Amino acid sequence: MFATQSQLMQGLPKKMSEFRRQHPIAAVARALALIKGNLVTIIVLLVVGSRGGEASVIWWIGGGFLTLLVLGVVSWWRFQYKIEDGEMHIKRGLFVRQNMYLTRDRVQVIDITAGVLQRMFGLVKVEIKTAASSSREATIDAISRADAEIITEKLKKKNGTAGDLQDTEEPAAEKQARTFHLPGKNLLVAASTSGSFGIALSVIGTIFSQAEPLISENEIYEWFMSVIPAETDLFLIITVVGLLILFAWLMSFFGTLFSYGDFSLTVFSDELLITRGIFEKKRITIPFNRIQAIWIMEGVLRQPFGYCSVHLESAGYGDSKGNGSILLFPLIKKHKLDPFLEKIVPEYIKSAPAQKPPLRAMRRYIFKSLLISVPVIAGLWWLFDASLWIWILLIPAAFWGWLRYRDASIGWDYDNIMISFRNLAKTTAVIKKTRAQDLDIEQSWIQKFRNLISVNLHVASGDQGRSFSVKELEVSVSDYLERWIRKGDNSHSIDMGQQTKQLVPHWREG
Amino acid sequence: MKKTPSKKLTPRAIRAWQWAAAGGNLFILSLPILYAIFLGWQGIHLWVLIALAVIALLYYIAGIFLIPYVRWRHWRYEIDEHEIDLLRGVLIRRRTLIPLSRVQHVDTTQGPILRWYKLASVTISTAATTHEISALDEMIADHVRDTISTYARLAEEDV
Repeated sequence: MFATQSQLMQGLPKKMSEFRRQHPIAAVARALALIKGNLVTIIVLLVVGSRGGEASVIWWIGGGFLTLLVLGVVSWWRFQYKIEDGEMHIKRGLFVRQNMYLTRDRVQVIDITAGVLQRMFGLVKVEIKTAASSSREATIDAISRADAEIITEKLKKKNGTAGDLQDTEEPAAEKQARTFHLPGKNLLVAASTSGSFGIALSVIGTIFSQAEPLISENEIYEWFMSVIPAETDLFLIITVVGLLILFAWLMSFFGTLFSYGDFSLTVFSDELLITRGIFEKKRITIPFNRIQAIWIMEGVLRQPFGYCSVHLESAGYGDSKGNGSILLFPLIKKHKLDPFLEKIVPEYIKSAPAQKPPLRAMRRYIFKSLLISVPVIAGLWWLFDASLWIWILLIPAAFWGWLRYRDASIGWDYDNIMISFRNLAKTTAVIKKTRAQDLDIEQSWIQKFRNLISVNLHVASGDQGRSFSVKELEVSVSDYLERWIRKGDNSHSIDMGQQTKQLVPHWREG
Repeated sequence: MKKTPSKKLTPRAIRAWQWAAAGGNLFILSLPILYAIFLGWQGIHLWVLIALAVIALLYYIAGIFLIPYVRWRHWRYEIDEHEIDLLRGVLIRRRTLIPLSRVQHVDTTQGPILRWYKLASVTISTAATTHEISALDEMIADHVRDTISTYARLAEEDV
């Protein structure tokens, strides 16, 4: 019913070989995308506008929406596309006219997704991805599913690698595809231990500090003050901070729940397909030959319970910001990792003897973490006028440094390198030699006294790169690594003095 | 770190860096002036101002008469058929090995100062990172660029 309606709104069905526009709802989608992209600016404008009384707030909001809607309509009007001889031509842009040509040979993946808005009108969004980085611009925001299928059909390569249509109708050749779902319990655990909690906290903290003068004149504030048992100033601060933390946790909990709910990972013969999201469905296709690295992350809240998340770095296909880090599986027990990877990326199950930072590196790890935490503690001390007892926080800081020392290691076999390190969460990465873009070895003048070095390995990720690094390693490790990365050098069998029995990655234990 | 790369940059690079520092570090000299404008020069501000001015001046002078020399002395590079080997940095020594099969493209670039001294810098891009061999003689830079692109073409391996 919606489909026919949308066809009516687009006028008579035209041929694909003539220029046509999207469904008008694309204008709204565009306006919403603009709001999402400029949220900070909008909030600032609203705060500024709210100074002038209630009437002006309405003007500000109304005017803002009107502007965005006009922008959306204009961009909808200027966006035209057609397909001719297996080539898609997109015209877009208001001041600078952009002409994009996507030939069938270059199209690698066509993703069809439906956001909340699209679903309300029975429409879909089509993303056409080529290997080039500019490909993320080739997105048609709203067209009917039938049209999307015609586009997929026309741009499909003859061997049929590009474009999978619907979740339910997979081609017969890919019948052996396996699908993994995230169990509900794991989703809840993932949501409640999500790392975005810290980010949410800082966002809320900022908003709170900005909005505080507005709130304090409010009746709600008066009521709130009378309800909480605020006997001392310190108690008040603790209550407020506690509430902020709770609120941040709830935000990250529901954020994760909504964006990773209904998660599924499907393995085809030549690509992976991830679908996720409760309200807004996201689909991510990753061809196997684009995978640059696999890494697992054991978050601070997850590690004690033996949980970790599985990630990958992909070249060319990332999110809309050009970032190539993709969450392959949100939460899994560490001891189930091997059987899981076996079914998805068996060539990444590797391990090698761990080269760990020597004992004399420990104090540098601890010293560095103290160096970072001293200004933070001093800031808190000064800000809250706290007692000297706050300096007791230096003990967990030193412990954190020791953890970073303990978890740092590097190991390699003939054509893989495994790196393990900790910032807050512990990360363990497996990278193929052919995917390592370069090898960086650094030695500061202090490290020179101690005969230590830091190793930095870059892999491609989205449009840019991502680095994996281990600090304070024995100098001799660099010699081995240099030989390792040199082409044609087979001396991978290492016999280093203080080789440990430990393996990287050591997710097999336990 | 054994077998360090052998080639040095063209000595004229020092002159080019000196001019670049003389121009680029001017804003450092403006810091004490900005401080005086916004915070005044009464009482304690005077001493802060003096300290700031001395530091800025020392930095500016070092930027011209010391840093370019030290920097040049610590720069080494080497290119063979397997990889590009860069070694640089004074306080933090940084060694970078780029296998030639990962090189996506090489460019030579030349700003006005480099052009005056007939120098050029070679930029090497991989899928993840960009590295620069700064300030080589024009001819050498062209040669280096051609060498890298020839070797890179020979070293066939998927990205």
